[in-house]
Amino acid sequence: MESEVYSASFDAGLSDGLTADSSTIVVAHELKAPLSLMRQLALSLDYEDDITGAREVGRQIVATSDRALRQVQDLTRIARLDDALFEMEPVNPRIVCDEVVAELWKLFRFNKRELQLDYRNKRHLAVANRQLLYSVVYNFCLNAMNYGGEELPSRVSVYDRQNKIRIDVRDFGPTVPTKVWREIKDGFVKKPVEIAMRPGSSGLGLYIAAKFANYMHSDFGLVRHRDGTSFYIDLPISRQLSLV
Amino acid sequence: MILVVEDDRGWETYYRRILKGHELCFCHDGIAAIMEMDEVKPNLVILDVLLTGPTGFAVLNEMRSYPELAEVPVAIISSVKMKDEMAEQYGVVKVYDKGELMPADVISLAEEYDGKESA
Repeated sequence: MESEVYSASFDAGLSDGLTADSSTIVVAHELKAPLSLMRQLALSLDYEDDITGAREVGRQIVATSDRALRQVQDLTRIARLDDALFEMEPVNPRIVCDEVVAELWKLFRFNKRELQLDYRNKRHLAVANRQLLYSVVYNFCLNAMNYGGEELPSRVSVYDRQNKIRIDVRDFGPTVPTKVWREIKDGFVKKPVEIAMRPGSSGLGLYIAAKFANYMHSDFGLVRHRDGTSFYIDLPISRQLSLV
Repeated sequence: MILVVEDDRGWETYYRRILKGHELCFCHDGIAAIMEMDEVKPNLVILDVLLTGPTGFAVLNEMRSYPELAEVPVAIISSVKMKDEMAEQYGVVKVYDKGELMPADVISLAEEYDGKESA
């Protein structure tokens, strides 16, 4: 049984920048997690005897830092959304998803998670900004990695839905409480601990995804399942090919 | 035996690496932790605060309500800043901020309460 609780364009309510104190705290908390882990991993090298183990630690540090850098980059983009021109163009969602999965598979592996792809779309080009769409899918996947279980892999699906192409990322973790979703939709989660069912996250990734989806005039929402959540973005189909 | 209650698998890898000489058991949420404690009878519990489902404090409350678990030493290692008085109230033996923690801190804890030397 599924219940679709929100499909919003996120026009209103989201803070325009990251200047508010509560937002700063949320961002600081979210970025502290990978920084703390990287520090510990680097320090643990002193306790690693063999070169293979040390290399593995190195790879884990790189994967963790890539994730943190990506979020910093996304936050910078949010600050530039009004000034910079992120052009809309025909984009193949499958290629974008392939690239995200290629970037994230090591991080998933270090977190003992698996990520599957499921492509069913017959129409292949959507209208989006490639960079922003990449970040939306990336943040959905990170969210799934944080909250999915070890037993069932998270899944990225691309399929046609009416006159749009939908990308959704399904996890099998605790579902997002409606209250939390409303908070994300209405503005910013004020305190990290408010996401008690999905701790370790302040909703920053979803905030980033919402801002970018809104910029691209795409629908962004979630489907709550009894055994998890799917976050999705609906993209208009590109008519470019029909003109060729 | 050390029971580590931590939902971030990156941290799990870290603990496994620096506590090689100790028998470790990992739980990724508070409910599993409470259930596991009855089985494994840990010498030490390393507890994160922000967990999937019940928080670390809920786990502590639950533990303290059972006579057989009430005396199990608990160390909190978390990103959440916490006052010492709050930890004392729950009978926590040590509190570490993940941002300031050193591997030697974890190893000392393990040696003090689990009794074996780390590899």
